[in-house]
Amino acid sequence: MITIKNITKKYSNYTALEDISLHIPSGEFVSLVGQSGTGKTTLVKLIIAEERPTSGEIIIGGWNITKIKSYEIPYLRRQIGVIFQDFKLLPKKTVYENVAFALESCGVAVQIVTKTVPQVLKIVGLENKLNHYPWQLSGGEKQRVAIARALVHKPKLLIADEPTGNLDSINTKEIIDLLLKINEIGTTVLLVSHNRDVVNGLRRRVITVENGKVISDQAKGRYVL
Amino acid sequence: MFFLDLFRSFKFALQSLWRNFWLTVVTVIIVTLAMASVSFLLIFNLVANNVVDTVKAKSEIYIDLTEGAKQAQVEFLVAELNKLEDIREVIYISPAQTLERFKGEHANDEVIMASLDSLSSNPFTGSLKISVKDIAKFDELLTELSRDEYGDILEINNSEFFEAKDLLNVISDYSKKVEQFGFGVSLFFIIISIIVVFNTIQMGIYSHREEIGIMKLVGASNWFVRSPFIIESIMYSVFSVLVMVLIFYPLAIYIQPHVDNFLGEYSLNLIDSVSNNFLWVFGLEIGIAILITVISSMFATRRYLDD
Repeated sequence: MITIKNITKKYSNYTALEDISLHIPSGEFVSLVGQSGTGKTTLVKLIIAEERPTSGEIIIGGWNITKIKSYEIPYLRRQIGVIFQDFKLLPKKTVYENVAFALESCGVAVQIVTKTVPQVLKIVGLENKLNHYPWQLSGGEKQRVAIARALVHKPKLLIADEPTGNLDSINTKEIIDLLLKINEIGTTVLLVSHNRDVVNGLRRRVITVENGKVISDQAKGRYVL
Repeated sequence: MFFLDLFRSFKFALQSLWRNFWLTVVTVIIVTLAMASVSFLLIFNLVANNVVDTVKAKSEIYIDLTEGAKQAQVEFLVAELNKLEDIREVIYISPAQTLERFKGEHANDEVIMASLDSLSSNPFTGSLKISVKDIAKFDELLTELSRDEYGDILEINNSEFFEAKDLLNVISDYSKKVEQFGFGVSLFFIIISIIVVFNTIQMGIYSHREEIGIMKLVGASNWFVRSPFIIESIMYSVFSVLVMVLIFYPLAIYIQPHVDNFLGEYSLNLIDSVSNNFLWVFGLEIGIAILITVISSMFATRRYLDD
């Protein structure tokens, strides 16, 4: 699904990532761990083409996005679902509209939007809050809206960048369970986290990054830092 | 696909206008004020130009005929002058008409009236009343009439002739200065208005900068993100001009008597003047407003789309 070859990312005289290589096959659930400022989010930004690598190659689903053109970026992002610690919901749109926007921006027909969005919101347990605005939701609910939005166009890859960073333990468990469920239906999940308990509880592949380098990559790993 | 995206852009624009109600209100007020300041100056220019045009239209010169001028010569000259493109009208005024006009002008001057009564015959010769389409052409025309070949017919060497010529030149100069001043002040206000509107739209879009980033993250193309903002800008312009129209007519009714009082016979009917050119005036304003707001929103969104 994702192949990263010798990626280096430099910002003027600071190196965020150095010679990173890894491969994530389709259907895998991978945790990318490391302390704050080690380059995890930079790697996510490279994968979603928010930033460009200084050197190296990134291939997603057979598409080499290293030198992706600006007009191709929306097409890439429609194939990747991304959720963030701060949810990144559109504040003036309702739950339904936030999720629908992901489809509407791709030109999906009105009938499909009106059919799909309630279904996805039912999966994340928000079928009764379609007309609520983000400010009317709890943190866990906001993250579930973000997950629904990321899932609505059935991406092959879901990237979750610190999705539980702003949540309490109950909501954290709910979100992780939801990500596992999503993985079970065949979606590749890349979970970026520095939550030791979450990562250790998963017992899945763990890639550890420190100072911009991969220092360990274990098939059923634990948070080692 | 195009129409679906367009429909969605309209939907998002209307949602944004409604859900950011106070931002919409403030933006419309600022755009309206900017348009109003320009409109006020345009109306001021309209009134000033009307005064100048009225003065120009009423600017006419009387050239006395010599005593020896024969009727045939005069008629020929009048016919020839009326053929000229720059001449509005040349009318022959008979000695009797000249006397009547003179009496009318000096009706309150007892000395002059007594002097006239003491004369046994009409002291006036006939004269030509000349008016031109463009006051600036008067000078050229009078120079032409000053030629020696007309010396037998026209009294061109008396002081009245030169005083009239000087007066027309002064009117012509003042009218040019009024036009230049009006243009300069209007230009200044237009530039100020453009800057104000530009910054207002920029500030409005600045408040949406995070949303723009989110829209891009979920896969929206630049045009899909940008188009609702452009449609919003067009709506701001339309609302502003509608507000302008609603404000203009009551305001014009209120100030019309004051304008009439101030300008007297040179006054202008504001409502008629604007209503007769309604599409031109408000069409132009709406066009300019849309141009400024759309360009502003294009610039503002590009800044955040490039981030």
